[in-house]
Amino acid sequence: MDYGKPERADALAAEYVAGTLRGRARSRFEALLPSHPALQRAVREWQGRLIPLTTAVPEVAPPAHVWRGIEAKLWPAAAVQPWWQRLGLWRALSGTALAGVVGLGVMLGNPPPAQAPVVVVLESTGTTAVNPATIVASFSGDGRALVTRTLTPVSMTTDRVLELWAVPPQGNPRSLGLISANGATVLKREHLAVTLLKGSTAALAVSVEPPGGSPTGVPTGPVVFAGKLVL
Amino acid sequence: MKSVDEKDWPEKSRELSLWLARAGLGDRVAFGKLYERTSGHLFAVVLRIQRDRGQAEDLLQEVYVSVWKAAASFDAARSQPLTWLTHIARNRAIDSLRRAQAQPRTVSLSRDEDDDSPDPAEALASDAPGPLDLLGQAGDRRELNQCLERLTPPQRQSVALAFFDGLSHAEVAAHLCEPLGTVKSWVRRALNTLKGCLDRAAANDAKLVN
Repeated sequence: MDYGKPERADALAAEYVAGTLRGRARSRFEALLPSHPALQRAVREWQGRLIPLTTAVPEVAPPAHVWRGIEAKLWPAAAVQPWWQRLGLWRALSGTALAGVVGLGVMLGNPPPAQAPVVVVLESTGTTAVNPATIVASFSGDGRALVTRTLTPVSMTTDRVLELWAVPPQGNPRSLGLISANGATVLKREHLAVTLLKGSTAALAVSVEPPGGSPTGVPTGPVVFAGKLVL
Repeated sequence: MKSVDEKDWPEKSRELSLWLARAGLGDRVAFGKLYERTSGHLFAVVLRIQRDRGQAEDLLQEVYVSVWKAAASFDAARSQPLTWLTHIARNRAIDSLRRAQAQPRTVSLSRDEDDDSPDPAEALASDAPGPLDLLGQAGDRRELNQCLERLTPPQRQSVALAFFDGLSHAEVAAHLCEPLGTVKSWVRRALNTLKGCLDRAAANDAKLVN
């Protein structure tokens, strides 16, 4: 089937969202979706047109055991596992990441600081919002200076920005400011609390936000990079 | 139980987006609130497509497990949260029909004594609105109503059966005693008409705002 023609893509997206695309055609369509931005856009547009029709369906409260089942599936041992422990992001540093770390070390290490800088490697979370990339963040030893650097440029739509967050062990993340999708950013000092490296940060995360950053004070867009702070 | 009021969507959306964002960061309380506010809608949508209540409950669990896992990838700037959630639920329900395609569509009537779910037989004989009624009610939104009026009666009926009840082209054809090709073209034309009409309405709205 030719998915390249816009009209064909649109017609398939319509049947997909309406539910009439079935069987192997549906599986094929779903398999192609992650790598076809035009198809994704067409699907989003059709969702916007058709899904609001479902508001007419009278609600049916599910029985209580459904929620208990969800809890049992997600948190079997009731162990507290925030997302930065769940995502399996913490593979060993790759060669490129190390190269970046060394580069940053040289950048920040002149003159050498009294305490060694703390480096956090933020890896892709696997969302389709941006391309896979790695961002390295480096705190000065006293936690009062922070530089981020992309190891490969992050490509994204021009009407979006990247926002860096400090994620505490508990509670809401705190914004550290916007960072460049290509190259280095020196974060503003006033956003860096002295406690950042003293137990108030479990991980750093980067989300995709509208221009100017999150309007709500917590991430609103997908979290696209994350890295655990190891002291 | 009442259905979601479309007029409340923008405000509800902000709240749902916030809970989704927090769930994406591992906040279980926010996820619980999200479930509380949306599970009635998603269960209703799933139940119309997958009529076996036990299976529909299992599907709803799968839906929320995937929502928890995918919450961090939700982009509030690109999708409405309830639309995003409903699409995930519909997808699961339609996929469950695909899995069960080889088997006849039946409803299990067995139930546990301590099960707090209603009797499935009762659910079957419910006074749930038909798909065409739903299409009529969905048209409470002015521009959607105007656009739905542009469909011919057979087009409306085909789209309603396929969209709300998850019937395939072949099932719609069997239901309406019409040839498959005819039903396919009804659905295709109905979707085309809706697209043209709704997009024009959206463009006019944008003009009024600017």
